[in-house]
Amino acid sequence: MIFHPEDLLVYEYDGSVDRSMPRAVVLPANEDEVSRTLALAYREGVPVAGRGSGTGLSGGALAAPGGIQISFTRMNRILQVDTENRTATIEPGVINLDLDTHVRKFGMRYAPDPSSQKACSLGGNIAENAGGPHCLAYGTTTNHVLGMRVALEDGAMVNLGSGAREIPGYDLRGVFVGSEGTFGIATRITVRLLPLPETVKTFLGVFPDIDSACSAVSAVIGHGIVPAALEMIDALSIRAVQNVTDAGYPEDAGAVLLIELEGLWEEVDEVSREVESALWETGASDVRVAEEDSERERLWLGRKTAFGAFGTIAPNYYLVDGVVPRTRLTQVLRKVSEVSEKYGIIIANVFHAGDGNLHPCMLFDEREPGVKERAMAGAAELMEYCVEMGGSLSGEHGIGLEKKQFMPLVYTERDMDTMKLVRDAFAPANRLNPGKIFPDGESYEPALQRTPTQVDPGMYV
Amino acid sequence: MTSSPAFARNLSSRVGPNAVLAAEGASVDRVAARAVVRPADRQQLSEVIRWATADGVRLYPRGGGVLSSLGNLPAQVDVILDLSGLNRIMDYQPADLTVTTEAGITLAALRRELVQGDKYVPLEAPRPDRATVGGILATGFSGPLRFSYGLPRDWTIGISVAGSDGSEARAGGRVVKNVTGYDLNKLYTGSLGTLGVIVEASFKLAPIQGTWAALAAPFPSISGAVAAAGALISQVYAPQGLQVVSRNIAARLGLDVPGDSGAVALAFISGRPRAASRRLEESARQLEAGGSPGGETLDESAATDLLARLTDLPWREEDLPFLALKVTLPPSNVGSLVAAMELPAGAGLIADPGFGTVHLLWWPPAEVGEPETDATLDLIDSARRNARNLGGAVAVEVCPPRIKAGADVWEGSVGEAELEIMRRIKRNFDPAGIFNPGRFVGRL
Repeated sequence: MIFHPEDLLVYEYDGSVDRSMPRAVVLPANEDEVSRTLALAYREGVPVAGRGSGTGLSGGALAAPGGIQISFTRMNRILQVDTENRTATIEPGVINLDLDTHVRKFGMRYAPDPSSQKACSLGGNIAENAGGPHCLAYGTTTNHVLGMRVALEDGAMVNLGSGAREIPGYDLRGVFVGSEGTFGIATRITVRLLPLPETVKTFLGVFPDIDSACSAVSAVIGHGIVPAALEMIDALSIRAVQNVTDAGYPEDAGAVLLIELEGLWEEVDEVSREVESALWETGASDVRVAEEDSERERLWLGRKTAFGAFGTIAPNYYLVDGVVPRTRLTQVLRKVSEVSEKYGIIIANVFHAGDGNLHPCMLFDEREPGVKERAMAGAAELMEYCVEMGGSLSGEHGIGLEKKQFMPLVYTERDMDTMKLVRDAFAPANRLNPGKIFPDGESYEPALQRTPTQVDPGMYV
Repeated sequence: MTSSPAFARNLSSRVGPNAVLAAEGASVDRVAARAVVRPADRQQLSEVIRWATADGVRLYPRGGGVLSSLGNLPAQVDVILDLSGLNRIMDYQPADLTVTTEAGITLAALRRELVQGDKYVPLEAPRPDRATVGGILATGFSGPLRFSYGLPRDWTIGISVAGSDGSEARAGGRVVKNVTGYDLNKLYTGSLGTLGVIVEASFKLAPIQGTWAALAAPFPSISGAVAAAGALISQVYAPQGLQVVSRNIAARLGLDVPGDSGAVALAFISGRPRAASRRLEESARQLEAGGSPGGETLDESAATDLLARLTDLPWREEDLPFLALKVTLPPSNVGSLVAAMELPAGAGLIADPGFGTVHLLWWPPAEVGEPETDATLDLIDSARRNARNLGGAVAVEVCPPRIKAGADVWEGSVGEAELEIMRRIKRNFDPAGIFNPGRFVGRL
């Protein structure tokens, strides 16, 4: 257990802009310790938040005021890989990429691949229903979870699902995934694995501007092609990426598309030609094809390091996760550049174009007075616009704290009350991650504000 | 209890005479209904529900009635709510690969519309000309292609459900990826109408491409067929659906079965022509290596026809089996289950070794007559024991009411702690107990 204030400092935040200091952090080694921690907290009336790796972007892992965190870094064992049923059973602290790397030895893979997959935990993936580039073809976390053992708010353990794909009764496992830690905490997880594809081919389509790249997205999908992944990277992001690594993206491009095809050799071969012609027809200035693993990895490296690379532009970022029907991408990206100008905020775009999941990334330096507020106002305007376009607030990061006030844009009181009926069945006392997702509930305003002090030019504490 | 005519008069005065249909002959599991109401629109549906909640009137929602025998025996059926009038397609965006439709539309009508934009919705149902989208969602029905399609929950991206106060609550939306709020799509899908009336749903679609074909490969024994099929399904060239049927089922499907075969493996294959033909060749080769003397290839129209017959088989009104059990279990245990099942004369199996589903269908031979209740209950019990030992569960999908009177459809298939959460959900959503009461898991 951790309880000294200076040790707790790193548990005060996750990948989002919100902060909240836990009273203590418990690091259990097994399910029994999780259960006993919850039972004790329940008796004492202390709210609890589960925490995986703290990479979440919506404040899901932050402790409620006066609450504690249960951190799963010690529960990180892969318990079993069942090659016959193609499943793996794991503890919640297992890192997404570690699972994938491990099961590849058996000719299988774990499909959901969030950009933070090197760091994020599967327990956190379940809480947020995490996505990733390859969710275009294979679905998000919810499509890959077969069973869980879950600790409820009072410490009672319950099994949701089993090793079977179909389970009788209400689909508690399905509604649990993505409940952002408010229903219970998964302590043991069984996921579905997929066989490795026979052929993988990655394309880099280079475009002079965002508009032509957007029309290429529509053209590909319009051809009846659903690639394994279809990602867009704009000019600003290309420059940021090339600042830190050579991913081979042309620095003068207006946007690039990263498209991956998988399947039988015959399918990939045939679809490849259609993809290539769709890219040329919509104005690509260059189309590169990578078939060797090393070439493909280099192209993906740029995509996966983009958010880190933004650090070379500005120290802070706020990521909008809006999702729109994919035919609206052009319009929404125009809106993004309007918002950028209106609020004077640099916005970079690296996102899952194939499923319409935008990631406008507001880049700023929070030490500059008022800039964070401007970034948040711009983000709000973008979220509203996504909803107006028939879309939604979040495609894969969750609502948590930072988007909860926007829920009424999408749902009526009646809709949200109905959702709460489910929470009240799992956690009648609402002790798990209280005050998140819905606009009512406790406020997470930090008790104390820290102000940066300059110690040397460009250095702050 | 008011008499049915008085009940119907009261109802007519509430919702208008046009919506109240003759109840003659209408029943749920042969429990006669006091009235049948067919709302013309959502407003009228809302009125009926408000009235039902106020007066404690039990509503039994129904789409095409194709799967309506699923569920425990109801104690009393007040109103069958016929939802076939709510059948508009609200929004179809082929380029976005999404559709939003009212729940009363039939699967066949929806497919006809979607094909105009070269798309399809990966849902299956028996009698698609009658089965409705709402019925498929409520029952969570999956068919012979479930290995590649998954379950209806995997394609449902938005839903609107009329709750106990008559108003609609929405969850999800019209985008293919969405984590805004709880994923109630999952909760409603497969809830058998016990939490409200599904009024509208949005689906992710898939592009239509290439051709369909099927392969029918006979095997000396069903165990051998399941083992060979299990080996095929884990290959990169696996077919989209793979079912093993016992000899008598194959005969019912109209397949030509060689005299010494005990089972037939049916592989359903689709895709662009070159990939499809490779799948077909490799499947044939793999099944032969697994012990089949060699299969027959069916062209697109024969394959589509076979798929429809196989999906319909347990649900054909004119030829309902005496008993239909569905076992769901981890895929690798399908072989052990099949080997452990003792089949009475006239019973057969349909096994899906890729997904982990086994159907037992029983048509007792005419000369034997109707089986005894006790013997039937013993058969169900033995299937339950076998399934439980192999990490699975049994649902009694079709059987005469006299059997249901002695057997819970899902008995023992859900643990007590999970069931308690389900009970609370039911109580919170339906405090008056008006939505399909008594029929679901744990008699919810």
